[in-house]
Amino acid sequence: MNANVWVLTFADAIAIATTLILASIGAMLTERSGVINLGVEGYLLMGAVSSFLIGMSTENVWLALFLPILVGVAMALVHAVLTISLRANQIVSGLAMVIFGTGLSSFLGKSAEGNRRPVTITDMDLGALSDIPFFGPVIFGHDPITYVTWLIAIVASLYLNRTRPGLVVRATGDAPATVDAQGVSVTAVRYAHTLMGGAFMGFAGSWFMLARGTAWSQGATTAGIGWIALALVVFAAWRPLRAVGGAVLFGFTLQVPFTLQAQQINVLAPEIVKMLPYVVTLVVLVALSTPRARKVLGAPKMLGIPFVRDER
Amino acid sequence: MIVGNVRIDFEPRLKSPRWLMVAVPVLSLVFALIVAAIFLLATGHSPITAYGRILDKGFLSFYGITDTLGLATPLICTGLAAAFAFRMNLFNIGEEGQMYLGMIGGAWAGIVLVESLPTLFAVPIVLLVGAATGAMWVLVPALLRAKLGTSEIVSTLLLNYVALNLVNFFIFGSRTVLRDPSPFPDGQAVADSARLDRFGTTNTYPTLVIAIALAVLLWVFIRYSNYGYETSVFADSPNTARYAGMSAGWLTLSVLLGSGALAGLGGAMYVVGPAGKVDPGLLQLGLGYAGIVVAALARYNFLAVILTAILFAGLRVGGAALQVSSDPVPISIAVVIQGAVLLFALGGEMFRRNRLRVRRVAAAGGVA
Repeated sequence: MNANVWVLTFADAIAIATTLILASIGAMLTERSGVINLGVEGYLLMGAVSSFLIGMSTENVWLALFLPILVGVAMALVHAVLTISLRANQIVSGLAMVIFGTGLSSFLGKSAEGNRRPVTITDMDLGALSDIPFFGPVIFGHDPITYVTWLIAIVASLYLNRTRPGLVVRATGDAPATVDAQGVSVTAVRYAHTLMGGAFMGFAGSWFMLARGTAWSQGATTAGIGWIALALVVFAAWRPLRAVGGAVLFGFTLQVPFTLQAQQINVLAPEIVKMLPYVVTLVVLVALSTPRARKVLGAPKMLGIPFVRDER
Repeated sequence: MIVGNVRIDFEPRLKSPRWLMVAVPVLSLVFALIVAAIFLLATGHSPITAYGRILDKGFLSFYGITDTLGLATPLICTGLAAAFAFRMNLFNIGEEGQMYLGMIGGAWAGIVLVESLPTLFAVPIVLLVGAATGAMWVLVPALLRAKLGTSEIVSTLLLNYVALNLVNFFIFGSRTVLRDPSPFPDGQAVADSARLDRFGTTNTYPTLVIAIALAVLLWVFIRYSNYGYETSVFADSPNTARYAGMSAGWLTLSVLLGSGALAGLGGAMYVVGPAGKVDPGLLQLGLGYAGIVVAALARYNFLAVILTAILFAGLRVGGAALQVSSDPVPISIAVVIQGAVLLFALGGEMFRRNRLRVRRVAAAGGVA
């Protein structure tokens, strides 16, 4: 078998990982403040379709890349109003957003279905670095946003763990009453981080479209990556830096079926191979659910519970 | 919340007025239609024409409403499945996959088990096997939730993707008894005795009666049985349930398995009714996900699920008719409406449970 193929597989794994990292950091910021946002899949689809349509009408790659952030923020605003202000069930609201986003992205994208991607982010040429065997193409052959994403993971990690606002966020997820007693508005913190999370999810969708997609097709665009990003949040124990490693691992399991198929390696039926990423994710979740792992993990304690001051 | 010198509060209502129980879902639908109308207008379609056509082709014409009732049949099952679990705060979002497994199990029983049996026995066996395979598909997430406390949300969802590939495997990737031996990939037809005849020339099947009867039975069962009482207590307060000696593990496990069985039953009804085989066409309908919306809109009331399922099936049938009209509108507008209805209903719930109080305050922030 061609060794090159595996280089490409790893390179693709890292590219998929970028979407997963962006989406899961968005989910982490939201969840750390105590709000669950299950809508990731819907945000990704809406980010992707809006980036495609903006690209088609403006032919400007930067507008196509960054404007969908506003789409993500708008969706997150609806989620925030429903769950934080109106105290609606966060899980059902997230699901509703998946359904809404799936429907709307398919509706808006219908006219563009099958069209080729109008604009694209080009990979960087890092000269000599890209020529290093294996590591060259795997690590240095990507577009700028890939590296920005790694930077974002580091910044998000520093923000949550080393800054005062980050401490407030974590406290809001674990003990909102204490934060409230300190005179900080729980509502404001949760709004801010739900919106910020939505921004990252919308961006993840637009990046995915511009760097990975070839043509808009709703069925083929995200194929459940949003849900894998949510599993990744648990896998990474709500810590952005760990999400990077986890995302590469998940990206690899997502990419391997395509490599095997392209190489005509038919040890298993392709349908069975396509199950593997989901099965692997499930097995990982099980391993993380043992009482010992749970102690180390530490999900935000008040995750999913609306804060009502009067009821204390 | 304080705006200027006015304080806005939500005050819990002791009793929701009856008119609000009707007004909230109706207004949610109206607002959702308005939102979808904006997108229709933006893409150059006339909402009036589109909605008129949905109403006619989905609800009012004879073949419209009978198509709708036919589609609503499995949807009632997945809706009941979601309502059964969600009302106990067990968020099984794997109805989609459990329904596929019900189709696989039901078709297998219809091909292998019931060949020489009369319909009176064959159909119930197919339905029961489908329910059992549906329950089996949620067994692992249910055990994990009951024993280790693993969130059932992600685990049930991941299995949807596994189930989807499993259906494709049986039709495209393998040559088992479930696949027709012809070169064209298709499911093997079940025995004739394992199928029910449709009503006249319509697409409604007698399974509709079973689905509705099941909704009524569940409603009675949860309301009047000891088990139903325990689930209600557990839903309100797991701690109270535990102090009263109820087994959290057993309730969690049994409710999730029951939910999976109901979704599986929906898949088996698809076999007994329109499909008669493992049919990948079911993968396109999204009835499992829609079941969650149907249940949430019905506020997890089993009787209301019947109505919301018919409403959603009608939107879908009418939406499909839009696609082939002279001014074709993508069928996904139906999904947009479904998602928006749920979002509005969620917001409306707050106003049903609470009353909005606006009071003047002397100094901002001074009054607790």
